[in-house]
Amino acid sequence: MAGGLFSGYDLGGFYDEAIGPDGTPRPGQGPVVDWFDALSPDDLRHHGALRDDVLRSRGITFTVYGEAQGIERTWPMDLFPRIIRADEWSHLERGLAQRVDACNRFLEDLYVGDQAILEDGVVPRWLVMTSSGFEREAFHVSVPHGARCLVSGVDVVRGADGRFLVLEDNLRNPSGVSYVLENRATMARVLTGAFDRMGIRSVDHYGRSLLAALKHAAPPAAGDDPVVCVLTPGVFNSAYFEHAFLARQMGVELVEGRDLVVDDHVVAMRTTGGLRKVDVIYRRIDDHFLDPVVFNPGSTLGVPGLMAAVRAGTVTVANAVGNGVADDKAVYPYVPAMIRYYLGEEPLIDNATTYVLWDDDERAAALDRIDELVWKPVAESGGYGILIGPQATDAELAAMRDTVEADPRGWIAQEVVALSRVPSCVDGRLEGRHVDLRPFVLTGESIEVIPGGLTRVAMREGSLIVNSSQGGGSKDTWVLDGTGAADPSDRSPSEGSAA
Amino acid sequence: MRLDIRNRTLYAYDDWVAESQNEVRLAPLTDGRQHLVAYRLSVAPSSRSLAFTDYWGTRVDAFGVREPHLSLEIVAEAAVETAGARPRPEAIGWDGLSEQEFRDRHDEYLARTPHADWGPAVADAAADARADDLVSTVVGVHDLVRERMAYETGSTHIGIDVDRVLAEGHGVCQDFAHLAVAMCRSLGVPARYVSGYLFTSSDRTGENVDGDLVNVQTHAWFEAAVPGHGWMALDPTNGREVGVRHVKIGHGRDYDDVPPIRGAVSGSSTAEVETDVEIRRMDPSQQATVLAPPRTHPAPEPSTAQAQQQQQQ
Repeated sequence: MAGGLFSGYDLGGFYDEAIGPDGTPRPGQGPVVDWFDALSPDDLRHHGALRDDVLRSRGITFTVYGEAQGIERTWPMDLFPRIIRADEWSHLERGLAQRVDACNRFLEDLYVGDQAILEDGVVPRWLVMTSSGFEREAFHVSVPHGARCLVSGVDVVRGADGRFLVLEDNLRNPSGVSYVLENRATMARVLTGAFDRMGIRSVDHYGRSLLAALKHAAPPAAGDDPVVCVLTPGVFNSAYFEHAFLARQMGVELVEGRDLVVDDHVVAMRTTGGLRKVDVIYRRIDDHFLDPVVFNPGSTLGVPGLMAAVRAGTVTVANAVGNGVADDKAVYPYVPAMIRYYLGEEPLIDNATTYVLWDDDERAAALDRIDELVWKPVAESGGYGILIGPQATDAELAAMRDTVEADPRGWIAQEVVALSRVPSCVDGRLEGRHVDLRPFVLTGESIEVIPGGLTRVAMREGSLIVNSSQGGGSKDTWVLDGTGAADPSDRSPSEGSAA
Repeated sequence: MRLDIRNRTLYAYDDWVAESQNEVRLAPLTDGRQHLVAYRLSVAPSSRSLAFTDYWGTRVDAFGVREPHLSLEIVAEAAVETAGARPRPEAIGWDGLSEQEFRDRHDEYLARTPHADWGPAVADAAADARADDLVSTVVGVHDLVRERMAYETGSTHIGIDVDRVLAEGHGVCQDFAHLAVAMCRSLGVPARYVSGYLFTSSDRTGENVDGDLVNVQTHAWFEAAVPGHGWMALDPTNGREVGVRHVKIGHGRDYDDVPPIRGAVSGSSTAEVETDVEIRRMDPSQQATVLAPPRTHPAPEPSTAQAQQQQQQ
């Protein structure tokens, strides 16, 4: 690292994933750090312009709700990649698979099992029964192989010591995987071969893996080649781009509710060649819009009679209905207990320190430190409704206190995690920016974690908010396969592994 | 008491309907107080239904009609054996409500739900019913609903919040039940809504029937959970305990968990709905008349039925 784009690079007292405390690249990071450091600001601008062209020509966009016009925006991707070493990844991968395994078992236990974990008092029954995600309409509805969390997105972060922590689980309709694939494709166009010898694990097989997992979850009667489709709410959904993308990747039909019909508890899709039976629906519609007979009667997005067909076992809906109870943030603190209970293993990845506010003592202690903690509504996702104590106004804190006192079951508080940082391109040079990671986990014949995941980056200086809906960007995430060319920076102190 | 029930609902549409998908909850359940002897659902145009038991323990028949139709007829026939009211428990204190074991089983019956979402008016009224012991409190809620509400046939208030129901001071059985449920919950007493039938000549008075045949509507009442006893069932519409003339279909947090019929119809046609319910008191030795084909086994003697019920407790 010379005095190039990294000159004056400030660690800011945070855990930087690329640069160690001694100012040299951490193990595995050397080639990328050196390559970027050697660029001129003009080079960087050139690459940035190329990236924008590529993203635009590929039509990679995302949608921000709540803005009257022009809500479709080009996807923000930072050029500096986020790199995860093979040994770090191997630990994370096993920890994520373990977690999703436990969540699948928990949901099976609740919906079609004996509710043993409740009977044994490991998870409080009342907590489950008062979860808005506990879907009674899915009670006793079985799912082939218990693959309820067929696609999971588990949000993880690295704290001040570099350890990975789980911040939240997304077990309903996690989105973002299309950006993982598009970021990679875009990087390949922009950096054309510069890192071919690093040994970066591929993500291109995601579509095949997803299709295999969906087919694996088909009802047994579906035969050897089940028919799969992707069910989207439609073009106005913020993730429509992804729905279309995934259907294309898998080579299956993208349908809306009105394209599906239920006849005698069997689902079929309207095609130009007539009705065609459907075996597996990868739905990207929330539970409550799936079927107007049993859920929101005003829903025009869903398919009347679908739930009865699912119950009859003629079709599989993925992810399963009712997963929200397992990613309820007030249930999340019990996931480590679920891992111990169902798997008899110690959790490989810890939760972030969390306070359950329905407990009088924990609530009192948390409210005493209201301005130091992060406050999250239990049933939301995407960063909506979150209040970050240290950055909140007195009025916001007072309002939060009232809200929590009125509805302690509805909120959790977490310690602020000093999110790790990764060098990011800002104004023609590199500066550290906070990141998180959403790896994607598939439950098929086995549990498969796609190498890397979606790294989101808070591009505003000092910001901890990484959601793209709230001014965040993204990074291509490289998982090294450990076979890469010798890395001269590996001589740096081993504290960098910080496991 | 042995009762045969025939519930016929007819939807007459003003235009062709290409498709309708439905769920029916009209089968009486079997519990400690009643026993379902037989049940049959028929639909015209004919359709194959999927029967299952839902989370609340209610039998559901789900079916779809996917041929153009101008009317949909749903006939649910049931033969049921009922027993009298459970004895009212002695005074029971409030402490049991906060015990973990009790809370675990009953907290879901404490939350506000769309039809039992109360405001200060209902909470204030409920506070008047609060007594030192829970049993008197639940009875007090029942009495208060009767006192404050007048029975008025016709429009149901389903969809109107309970504060307004209370302010207007009149309604039908569903409104009475929801109001009582909301009052109980506002006091911290778990309560649930019950859908069923009442064998009576008048919903309002619940008075006994001279003849053996009545034409009624579906009925509703409420149950409140009392630690150490179980569920106390009271019918505020006619001011009596739930007894031998009540036939329970099922329960839930409110009406939405046990709607007799719910469905989705394609297109924009509007329907006229006609429901008639016929309840016939049977000689216990008689075979069910409304059910075809006739059952091959004779109906159980009351004593047998009693024994079976106790077995299920």
